[in-house]
Amino acid sequence: MKHLKPLNKKALRIEETISSTEEDVIALQQKPMHTPMGCSISFSPGWEVDAGGGTAGLCQPAERDIYDCYVTCFWPVQVPDHVNYSPDWASNCATAAKDWRSLDIIFP
Amino acid sequence: MKKLGFCIAALLAGSTAAHASTLFMGSYPDKMLVMDEATGAIKDRITLASGLPTSMRLSNDKAKIYITTITTSGIEVIDTKTKKVVNSFSLNTPTVRYRFNGGVPDPTGRYFYTMIQKFEKLNDRYTVSPQMFGVIDLAKKAVIRTADVPDEDVRNGAGRGNYMLSADGKTLFLIRDKVLVIDTGELKVKDRLEFSKPEATGIEGVSFGGGVETLRNPNEYVSLFNAQDPYIRNKIFGVGRFDLATKTFAFHPIGPAPVSGGMAGLQVSADMKEGWTVVTQEKVGNKRCEFWHIDLTTNLVKNKAEFPCRTRFQFGLSGDGKMLYIYGASYDIEMYDTQTLQHIKTVDLGNDTTGAGMIITQ
Repeated sequence: MKHLKPLNKKALRIEETISSTEEDVIALQQKPMHTPMGCSISFSPGWEVDAGGGTAGLCQPAERDIYDCYVTCFWPVQVPDHVNYSPDWASNCATAAKDWRSLDIIFP
Repeated sequence: MKKLGFCIAALLAGSTAAHASTLFMGSYPDKMLVMDEATGAIKDRITLASGLPTSMRLSNDKAKIYITTITTSGIEVIDTKTKKVVNSFSLNTPTVRYRFNGGVPDPTGRYFYTMIQKFEKLNDRYTVSPQMFGVIDLAKKAVIRTADVPDEDVRNGAGRGNYMLSADGKTLFLIRDKVLVIDTGELKVKDRLEFSKPEATGIEGVSFGGGVETLRNPNEYVSLFNAQDPYIRNKIFGVGRFDLATKTFAFHPIGPAPVSGGMAGLQVSADMKEGWTVVTQEKVGNKRCEFWHIDLTTNLVKNKAEFPCRTRFQFGLSGDGKMLYIYGASYDIEMYDTQTLQHIKTVDLGNDTTGAGMIITQ
């Protein structure tokens, strides 16, 4: 096929379509899922809304949920990112619900 | 007569203390909690130099606990007798980071098998590796071998499977929606065992659940399973045993699965005569939870009891089989009697626990 050249627009588009699938730029939704390091691709709704759109299904109190969000990037905008830029955010706070004032302050 | 009663009670108390078991739990921000099960007292908070624990694995001889940590992508090894860290390291360097969660040590304790991803900062860009099978040398404290996971076996949450290793250390089993059989010498997938439609059992849609900890042994993977028959779609649950040597799967159905709800794990007594599960109905604010206590000899539910459940929780069984544990997404463990299913006490751990679960040693 390499010796063939597209002569009209349609053939050119076919060639572009085929070649685009061979590029190393991979769409995030393409299978298998390509997941870059970090939390920037997580787009969960605002802090904190449960699966039903309300707050009744959240951890009580909500601070009980904060550490798992911190580690898994569940609310990456609202909660610091443990993996990349804030590994020490909770270093002085063993129990978020009781001792949240000891959490570090993050400046973006 | 009263004195005799007191003597017997004292003897029993003494024997309980003699067999008191130790419970290990991963917690924030970088601690491994060591709890005396008999009293509920925290005996130690072991600091993990490589950071936050995300998974724990007890060696087959029960002498060591292998912990993976996420903060600096590390491994910590704890001796269960001395309760001290005997090996600790991080795989990360200033320019290279790894991600992995869970894994299994080989019989010699020298190598650790897992699934891994590598992120490298080059002069002009970052490179992200594909998902790989990886071998970590616990003596050299480095990744020594990797091999790309075939495209058809790539899944989101790559390493969150259940790992088992054959007794000779030559075959790795990754148990997920299917069982991947991996040669540890070449790190190649040799076989993919589908159990979604097992032959001659009359059931289909079998899926593996989490391992049943009390029945854990080196030769087989014991798990809760859900299945349904192909005719009237009757859903059932039970215990499945995957034999590592013969690569066969045996089913032990227990009973009908809840119609509209879910089941949060299965705990089974060491003698396989009693089982417990948590059945949840409805969602978010309307969520209701019940303990189901099952007689496994007759496959009948002996009793049920509703309890105030958390939004997220993990379910466990004490080492002596006398208490059910509800824990996770909090700093405490709620303890319930296995026979009456009534609340006994709540133990404040002083640290929020991670999803690493718990390991109980005698």
